[in-house]
Amino acid sequence: MAEHKDRRDFMMKAGLGAGIAGLGLQAAASLRSLVPNVSYDAPTTVKIGMPTDFPDGLKFLPDQRLFVFREGKTFHAISAVCTHLGCTVRAEAMSQPETKEVDGVKMKLTHRFLCPCHGSRYEGDGKAVAGPAPRALAWYHLSISVDDGSLVVDLAQEVARDFRLTLA
Amino acid sequence: MEKRTNSPYPRIDRPVLAVVGVLLVISTVLFARNDREHEWRWYQAEFKRLVAEKFGPDKAKTVPTGLQQIWIPSMAKADRCVTCHQALGWKGFETADEPFRTHPAEILKSHPPETFGCTSCHGGQGWAIDAGPAHGPIEHWNEPLLGKQLGSEYSLVDNKAALMQMNCNVCHRYERETKGADAINHAKKLVQEKGCRGCHVVNGRGGTIGPDLTYVGDKEAEQYEYGRLSGQKTSFAWHVAHFKDPRSLVTETVMPNFNFGTKDAQALAMLVLSWKKSPVPAAFIPGVPHSEPQTEQEKADEERMKTGPGGWFVKTGCFVCHSISALGVKSPAQIGPDLSTAVEDVQSRFGRTLDDFLREPTGTMSVVLSRQIILTPEEKAVAISKLREAYAEHEKQKATAAKADKQAAPVAARH
Amino acid sequence: MAFPFLSFLKRSQGPEAPGVHPQPFWSFRPRSDRESGDAIVSNFALHMFPAKVSRASLAWKYSFWLGTGSAALFLLLILSGGPLLFLYVPSVERAYASIKDIEYVVTFGSWLRSVHRVGAHLMVVVVALHLVRVFLTGAYKNGVGQGQKREWNWVIGVFLLLFTLLLSFTGYLLPWDQLAFWAVTVGTNIAASIPFVGPQVRELLIGGRAIDQPTLIRFYVLHIVVLPIAVGALFAYHMWRVRKDGGLAAVDKEARENELQEAPASSTKTYTLLGIARGTSPVIKATSISRLDKMVNAVPDLVRRANLVTLATIALISILATFVRSPLEEPANPLVTPNPAKAPWYFLWLQEIVTDTTIKIGSFTVNGAFVGGVVLPGLLVTLLILWPWLDRSPKEAAGVWFARARRRQNLVFLLLCAFVLTLTFVGTVMRGPYWHIYWPWEAWPDIPGRL
Repeated sequence: MAEHKDRRDFMMKAGLGAGIAGLGLQAAASLRSLVPNVSYDAPTTVKIGMPTDFPDGLKFLPDQRLFVFREGKTFHAISAVCTHLGCTVRAEAMSQPETKEVDGVKMKLTHRFLCPCHGSRYEGDGKAVAGPAPRALAWYHLSISVDDGSLVVDLAQEVARDFRLTLA
Repeated sequence: MEKRTNSPYPRIDRPVLAVVGVLLVISTVLFARNDREHEWRWYQAEFKRLVAEKFGPDKAKTVPTGLQQIWIPSMAKADRCVTCHQALGWKGFETADEPFRTHPAEILKSHPPETFGCTSCHGGQGWAIDAGPAHGPIEHWNEPLLGKQLGSEYSLVDNKAALMQMNCNVCHRYERETKGADAINHAKKLVQEKGCRGCHVVNGRGGTIGPDLTYVGDKEAEQYEYGRLSGQKTSFAWHVAHFKDPRSLVTETVMPNFNFGTKDAQALAMLVLSWKKSPVPAAFIPGVPHSEPQTEQEKADEERMKTGPGGWFVKTGCFVCHSISALGVKSPAQIGPDLSTAVEDVQSRFGRTLDDFLREPTGTMSVVLSRQIILTPEEKAVAISKLREAYAEHEKQKATAAKADKQAAPVAARH
Repeated sequence: MAFPFLSFLKRSQGPEAPGVHPQPFWSFRPRSDRESGDAIVSNFALHMFPAKVSRASLAWKYSFWLGTGSAALFLLLILSGGPLLFLYVPSVERAYASIKDIEYVVTFGSWLRSVHRVGAHLMVVVVALHLVRVFLTGAYKNGVGQGQKREWNWVIGVFLLLFTLLLSFTGYLLPWDQLAFWAVTVGTNIAASIPFVGPQVRELLIGGRAIDQPTLIRFYVLHIVVLPIAVGALFAYHMWRVRKDGGLAAVDKEARENELQEAPASSTKTYTLLGIARGTSPVIKATSISRLDKMVNAVPDLVRRANLVTLATIALISILATFVRSPLEEPANPLVTPNPAKAPWYFLWLQEIVTDTTIKIGSFTVNGAFVGGVVLPGLLVTLLILWPWLDRSPKEAAGVWFARARRRQNLVFLLLCAFVLTLTFVGTVMRGPYWHIYWPWEAWPDIPGRL
């Protein structure tokens, strides 16, 4: 009799335990709803306009937070996102452009970049020279779109600092 | 130890407990199944298999998994069609069955999906991720997929997929003819031929005997009178019947019967239903000039400058900064000095002759002439001779003016 | 530890020193009355229960545990509302899209929304049934206990029902679809039919003259902050009063039946020190309390059943939510009224009355919205609130199903309920386009569509 009762007790506990465990699972799984399944972010590959829209020197694109530099037929793009905590750095024209060798390529530095948040400073090639910034500003890949010839930046693809897009 | 009072109800509670336990387990099973049963999981696996078969397993790895969407912030559209229709931009699936078929590439060049999404052309419910709610027709979503199936239901003459052209015309409404939208083009031609504008205003132009049709596509389905319409009770069916015989639906109408055939009536119904206040960005709409037009006076002035004695300076672009008043050229910006006196002016400013300066300019002009306005030596010679002409003209005008002044002065004094 | 089901992990060792809690966890399987009392004292979540409760008040077929069911539903609504708070965007431009996202691309999103919606509808039902049960058993009447104020708990209960309806109604607007928009249009225009101040009341309700962003944010804040707090506070008070009134009214019936045996003075029960000092605390003439065979320990018997009811409610809703998909109609469109436009089902009996009560006397017209939407429900609620004072039946009728002395009022009450139910049924099932009557077997005419 006692054994019988014990077994019944066990079954009851096991059944209810499984149920409650399941319920706990449902509750925990419901929190899965907070992990987004679809992305509402802006695409990382963006057409930024025809090459002719870019003057010699620097053009800032606020939407992409990007500096696009043009020197005649060559282009390169440097991110305006401070590597410290993500504020947008500002470009400041230097009174005296310097020429420097960056990754084996001669480069004329016309600007430097200052971060308004914590005072990080970057040279014209993006190299961090002062303040808390841990890394140089990112350089992004540029290409020419095959369908309409506009400049395309790939914000997901960082490139080395000797990268240049040269128009034919 | 004090004994515990006996629990009075274990006998009744035990079966209740059992039932609750079972219910809890069932609910968990249902809960888990509920999330897994979507068909897109199967389609994605199948497409991956197709790619692996055709291009190898490495290529198949690049096929994205999970829910996909194209988010168009300017139209607040999130089109999840690409979750199943993954072949969209892949080459090599042109003849596969949907949803594994490549989208015709030509149209995507001018209408990239990342700018326009899917549903702005195809209709359907972009939010949905199952074929039923996405393609429709479904309750509570007014725009089903504008495809062949819906076209067949309406027994469209000719092209069963023509309904989609309604959405083309949401943006292309101001064009006379749109490539690929044959039904709409046909209807637009009918609008011209039959003189609809005699009675109706369309796009701000036309007579006022009939109602303004500019945004008739926005009229709600329930606001039509269906009393005399047999068959489907939809705006589209109403318009088709009405175009075929207006008086059969609205007895007191004065609209004449144009004896439109089924094809004409269907095309016209599509056209008028496409006349909606478009929820699309203005930049998507071709045929609308986004500019402030010049007045007739301004146009005439510019024409005169171009053809007058100073026309050469207008053509080269010098006039952007410089007026040459002696030759009737007026600069819109007037940043630089008037070039009528350039011969004399250059000498006094730079201490060099005009010829010398133009050959080797300094300051701003060195930048302008090396980048914006690049002149050959021959053109520079033309410039110099023209500027001399201008100077001569200037001197002449000055002399005439001085004479006129002298004559006018005594008259003024008398007052 | 508020998890009674975990307590078997920790076997109690029995008290070594009296007055000291010998173990950190309370036992769900107490071996003595002392241990079971200890469970209550040492547990915050169980503090609202007395150590011992009357056996009769635990009976399934006395209360049907509807109050506990309501509380469980309220808890479930708060729990399921939590994730939804993160997913829903209360803005006119984005509310509808955020619900579409919840329905289609959020993992378990449509289930969560259905749990919330089914739970809300069921809560209206269960709370209303609870009120019906209390009326039919005369449980708002004071019995033999001293200092009982059951009539006030009844008033609180009526307000809890009203707040439940308001909670449900404010949630109705949030999806910003046609259903929401027009239900709220109809609902708030009823408020506007109040003479003199109506339009101002409506303007205050919806934050302007048209239903727009200000309305949405008002209903949103009411739905997620103000009303839940109000219901929570009233619920706490409701429970506290149940204890102060000496438990459910069934206790009084029991006590009365045992009245012949006088209770010894020592076993009267007081609840607060202040109460003793002032002599205001209800002192139950604890005739039944002295009878140990009529009493059970709250731990485990009351707690077990309360937990059972809660779990059963959750399981039921969880299963229902996998089958019942919550509808989302077209985006709200102020230019088109859906045909027919209906209020939420629990207000449809009012919408029925509103339809039929516009009174014309000569050139003088009283808007049906005022009669059916303000005066009549106002009268009904007032009557409900005042009923404990109007009910002249003897106290022996407290806690008895269909007491003889209350036969007439029970009958009238049931008739009223049937009337409301019938109208609700007619409004929900039988009203078609243009509010015409359609029998369930009659097909509605096709609603025209664009394509």
